[in-house]
Amino acid sequence: MPRAKIWGILAVIVSAGLFAFSVYAVFFIAGNDGLNTLPVDLGEINTLTYFSVAVPVTAGALFVLGTGFWIGWVILSIKVVPPMPEIVEKKDNSKIKALLLCISTALLAAALVYGVYVRSFWALAIPAFVISAVVLGAVFWVGLAIITTRSTLPTDGK
Amino acid sequence: MKVLLCGYRGNPYSGGQGIYIYNLSRELAKLGVEVDVMVGPPYPDPLEEWANVYKLENLNIWAIKSKDIPVEKLKRVLATPWNFADYLLTRLHIFPEMETFSFRAFFALKEILKRKRYDIIHDIQSLGWATVPMKGYGIPIVTTVHHPLTKDREADLAGNRGLWDKTTTILFYPLIMQGFVIRRIDRVITSFTEGVDELWKAFRVKKKNVSVVFNGMDVDMFRNTGEKREENALLFVGNTEDSKKGLIYLFEAMKMLPDHITLTIVDDGPPKKLTAADMIKKMGLERRIKFTGKLTYEQLVSMYSRKTILIMSSLFEGFGLPAVEAMSCKTPVVVTTAGSLKEVVTPDCGILVPPKDPAALKDAILRLLADKKLRKKMGENGRKRAVENFSWPVAAKNTLEVYRDVIEEYGRGR
Repeated sequence: MPRAKIWGILAVIVSAGLFAFSVYAVFFIAGNDGLNTLPVDLGEINTLTYFSVAVPVTAGALFVLGTGFWIGWVILSIKVVPPMPEIVEKKDNSKIKALLLCISTALLAAALVYGVYVRSFWALAIPAFVISAVVLGAVFWVGLAIITTRSTLPTDGK
Repeated sequence: MKVLLCGYRGNPYSGGQGIYIYNLSRELAKLGVEVDVMVGPPYPDPLEEWANVYKLENLNIWAIKSKDIPVEKLKRVLATPWNFADYLLTRLHIFPEMETFSFRAFFALKEILKRKRYDIIHDIQSLGWATVPMKGYGIPIVTTVHHPLTKDREADLAGNRGLWDKTTTILFYPLIMQGFVIRRIDRVITSFTEGVDELWKAFRVKKKNVSVVFNGMDVDMFRNTGEKREENALLFVGNTEDSKKGLIYLFEAMKMLPDHITLTIVDDGPPKKLTAADMIKKMGLERRIKFTGKLTYEQLVSMYSRKTILIMSSLFEGFGLPAVEAMSCKTPVVVTTAGSLKEVVTPDCGILVPPKDPAALKDAILRLLADKKLRKKMGENGRKRAVENFSWPVAAKNTLEVYRDVIEEYGRGR
């Protein structure tokens, strides 16, 4: 079997395994008594320890939410030359959607910051889970593409 | 003097920066400068005759679906962190080549600097994040920005309908990064005087940090072939999908012009590109406007030499290469005063009209078509202006002046 295929299979197995593990760890172990009760009270963790995890996760999540807000804001605020007459006049409700994007990302960011402040487990777990799922998803997809793509090139490494 | 030129795409056929790197490095070398070039793929035509070339990896997978990525590239996705970043960011509709190139260049340069030293680093419109820490190597850095990408983004957004299209456009242009980096570069080179104001408006770049150096072009290649000139044959050269080209105003002018006047567009038409073709159909101009598709340089030079007038109906231009190429082939031009065009084209080489004014465009075309003597005189003047101002040797000489100035300033500041 070509070495690339072996790497592809490994990427698929490892990323799928890690994703399954993170689902199990976040949603089953941590929340096995319902989403409100947790085996660990984050309030009891040393403040420095808590924020050493909370700050990078929050920064990552705020970066993503901030990007969403910024996109909405640019669409709302940018003044561009009017579309050329050749563009067929279609109903463009992107400004309304951009406003909704701004409002929803701002609300999510506020909820996140509040959640981190009150030391909610989910305020950290959900962003961390989403970010890692995106990265693992990308690795999985690359692996799958390597496995399923037929190479037209010789496989002798030349 | 030892110079390092850095560009994230190096092939002369993949965009302006490839042409810029190829010609600037060659002409600088002729001036006695020791030139090294650090480029990403597509790699440049062989430069080894006059420069050391360091080739950096880049996947070039923007806009390619995962299932369509060649297997050889797929194998490389997980090979380095920068490749994975390329892959991940392109899946999120971000154009990451500038960012990842800058990081690759930063680490590659660290190794190179163990063996040699440069007097200056010249970044060719990458402006990636890692250009800032590169300053820590103690070498002044200049960058070339023909025009700020804000102009391209505005043009794209004007044509986008719907939230998704606009979102992908906003994600594509790395304006926050470029704005942050460009303010920290020792000198910015732009290709026209108005560009200084444009850079201030777009990125708040201080005017004293900007130098104007006209772009170069190959005046030896672009020279009149001596073929017989056609009468009443207009020419447009450029990307018809780019709304900054103001094609609608040219078509409106065509509608006002007599039927025997034709227009040739050097670009792909349908089925590859539909925007201009749709406009032409709507205006009933199909019989008078033709597309050539992509041409070789030889065919393009022949086209410039045979057609009566080159038209540029642009709403903005960062340089206006077709106008200079036409001038170099002794072809008179009718251009708008948008962006750099009013500096590139002087009234003795062509007629300048306000942008978005089809009637003015029509009048200028009719005036030139009616006066063969004027066309010939403007053609001669155009060639002279192109050779004296827009040849690569002139561009390299002026760039070298900027290097010297920056190095001196840098030395004083230390």
